[in-house]
Amino acid sequence: MLKLFALTQNEIVKLWLKKRFYVIILILLIIIPIFTYAEHKLAQTNAEHFPDWRNRILQQIADIENTLASDRIPEEWKRGRRIAVQQLQYYLDHDINPSEPSGVQFTREFLGNSVTLFIPMLVLAIGSDIVSGERTGGTIKMLLTRPVKRWKVLLSKLLALALYVSLTIAATVILCYLISGFVFGYGGWSAPVLAGFKIEGSSVDSASVYAVPQWRFLLMQAGLSWYSAMTVAALGLMTSVLLRSTAASMVSMMAAVIAGSILSSMSSAWTTAKYLFSVNLNLSGYLVGTPPPIEGMTLPFSACVLAVWGAAAIGVAFRVFTKGDILN
Amino acid sequence: MSEMTNRKIGIALAAGSLLATAFMIAGLCFVAIDMAAPAAAEQKPEETGNAADAGSLVPYREAEEIRLLALGDSLTKGTGDATGQGYVRRVADGLSKRYNKPVKLLGNLAINGMTAQELAERLERDEGYQYAVKGANLIVFSIGGNDLFLSAYASLNGRELNEAAIDELAGDLDEALERFKRVVERLNALNPNASVVYMGLYNPFFELEELRGASAKLQDWNRAAYSELFRHPQMLMVPTFDLFEFRVLDYLSSDHFHPNEAGYERIAERMLDSL
Repeated sequence: MLKLFALTQNEIVKLWLKKRFYVIILILLIIIPIFTYAEHKLAQTNAEHFPDWRNRILQQIADIENTLASDRIPEEWKRGRRIAVQQLQYYLDHDINPSEPSGVQFTREFLGNSVTLFIPMLVLAIGSDIVSGERTGGTIKMLLTRPVKRWKVLLSKLLALALYVSLTIAATVILCYLISGFVFGYGGWSAPVLAGFKIEGSSVDSASVYAVPQWRFLLMQAGLSWYSAMTVAALGLMTSVLLRSTAASMVSMMAAVIAGSILSSMSSAWTTAKYLFSVNLNLSGYLVGTPPPIEGMTLPFSACVLAVWGAAAIGVAFRVFTKGDILN
Repeated sequence: MSEMTNRKIGIALAAGSLLATAFMIAGLCFVAIDMAAPAAAEQKPEETGNAADAGSLVPYREAEEIRLLALGDSLTKGTGDATGQGYVRRVADGLSKRYNKPVKLLGNLAINGMTAQELAERLERDEGYQYAVKGANLIVFSIGGNDLFLSAYASLNGRELNEAAIDELAGDLDEALERFKRVVERLNALNPNASVVYMGLYNPFFELEELRGASAKLQDWNRAAYSELFRHPQMLMVPTFDLFEFRVLDYLSSDHFHPNEAGYERIAERMLDSL
C-alpha cells in the first residue's frame, strides 16, 4: 500500500516534470480570454438592442418559431428548436434570465461547451503517452525490472492520470472564473438555474423542473465533466498500452472523440450509435435539457455506457500490460 | 532539480488534486441526490407572472423614446423584402428622423403564417407577449391574411380558379373577424395608452381576373376591422389595398403574395404619414 502511494506520487511528479500541465494552463490562458471577449461583444450587442432581457427572449422565441414555420427545415432540426422554444418560454414564465452575464455563468457555459471535445483533448494531451512514452524513451525496461508488480506500476499511472484529470477540470473552472469575472463581474453564485427538463419526443415535461443556485449547478456540471473525462482517460490509458507510438494513440483517441461529436450533431437515425462512448460524453447537457443526440438517451443511460467503456478499457489495459511481452 | 523539491512538488500536487477530486465527486453526489429525489417542493420555481410593469403612460409623441413593438404575420415579419427591413424597420427609422428621438424596437414578434386565432391566444396566455405589449408605446400589427387566404390558398393549388373559389377565399370571414375582435380587445386591455396601428389587407391576386372578386371580399374585411378599431381612439388603420391594384408587379415580390422592398417602402410611408 505504501509502495503504491510512493509509486503514484512518483508518477505525478514525472507527469509534472514533463511540463504537459504547463501547456494546458497556457492553452487555457489563451483560449479563455478569446471566448470572454466574444461573449462580451455578444452581451454588448444584446444590451444595446434589448435593454430588457425579456424582450430578447421573446424575440429569440419568435425567431425560432419563424424557422419552425419554414418547410425547408428538416423535421429532426425542428425537434430541437421546439424544445428550445418551450424551455425559453418556461424561463420567461418564471421570470428567470437564462443568461444573466456573470463570471459563474460564463464558466458554466464554457464547461458545458468544452466537455465533448476540448477537455478530452486536454486529458489526452496529458495521458496518451503515459505508457507508450516509456516505451519510446526506453525507460519501460528499467521500470519493469524493479521489484514491483506490474499491475502496481499501471495502477499508479492510472491514479496519477485520474488526479491530473481532476486538476485539469479544476484549473479550467478556476481560470474561467478568474478571467471572465474580470469582465462580467465575480458574482452570480446564487443566480437560479433551471434543471431537470424531461424531454419526450419534441415536447418538454416541465413537471420535474427545479431551480438550483448556480454554484451548485456548476459543481454538478464539473462532477459530470470529470466523469466523462475519466472515461476518456481510461480509454487513453488503454490505447497507450496497446499502441507503441504516442502519436498513434493520441490520434486514434482524438479520432474517436471527434467522430462522436460529429455523430451527435447529425442527430442520427442510426440509433445503435448511442452505445459509442463519444456520443455520450455530454452528460451535463442532460441537466439543462439539451435534447440528446439520439432519442431515448438519458443521464443514467449515458453514465452506464461510459462506465462500461471505462471499465472495459481498464480491464484490457491491465490484462495486456501484465501478461504481454514488453519489447522495445 | 533536487530530490527534496521533487518530493515537495509531489506532495503539493497530490494534495491539490485530491482536493479537486473531492469537489468533483461532491458534484456527482449532488447529481445523484437530485436524481433520486427530484424537485423538492421549495426548489420549485414560482410562477411570477412577470409582475414588473414597464408602464408606458406617456403617448409615443411626448415620450422620451419611442418603444415600438411589432406583432402579427409575415407582412410584419417582412417576408419578401430582400433587405430584411420590412415596413417595421422603415417605420422605426422614419419615426426617429421625424421626431428626432430614439426609437427602440422592442421586438418584431411577427411569425410567418400566424393567424388571428394564434395571436389572440398568445395575447391572452403568454406572459412574455403581455409584458412586451405593456412596455410599448407604439404597436404596429398585421393579421388576418392567413385566416382568409391560407386554407383557400392551399385548396386552390392545382384547381380551376373560379367564382366559387372567391367565396371560399372569404368563407371564414365572420369567424376570422371574431378572432380579430379578440386581438383588438386584448391589446386595448393590456395597454390602453399605446398607439396601435393596424395594416389593412390588400388583394395580391388582383391581376388574376378570376380572383379579382376577392378584392371586394377583402374590403368587407377591412371595413369590419375598421369598425372594431375605431371604438378605441388610440387605434388606427392604415389602408394598403389601393397600392397593389394597378402596380401589383412593381410592389409584389416573386412569390406573388408578399410585398417586395418597394412595396414595404410604400406601406411604411403610409404609416409614417399618419403617425
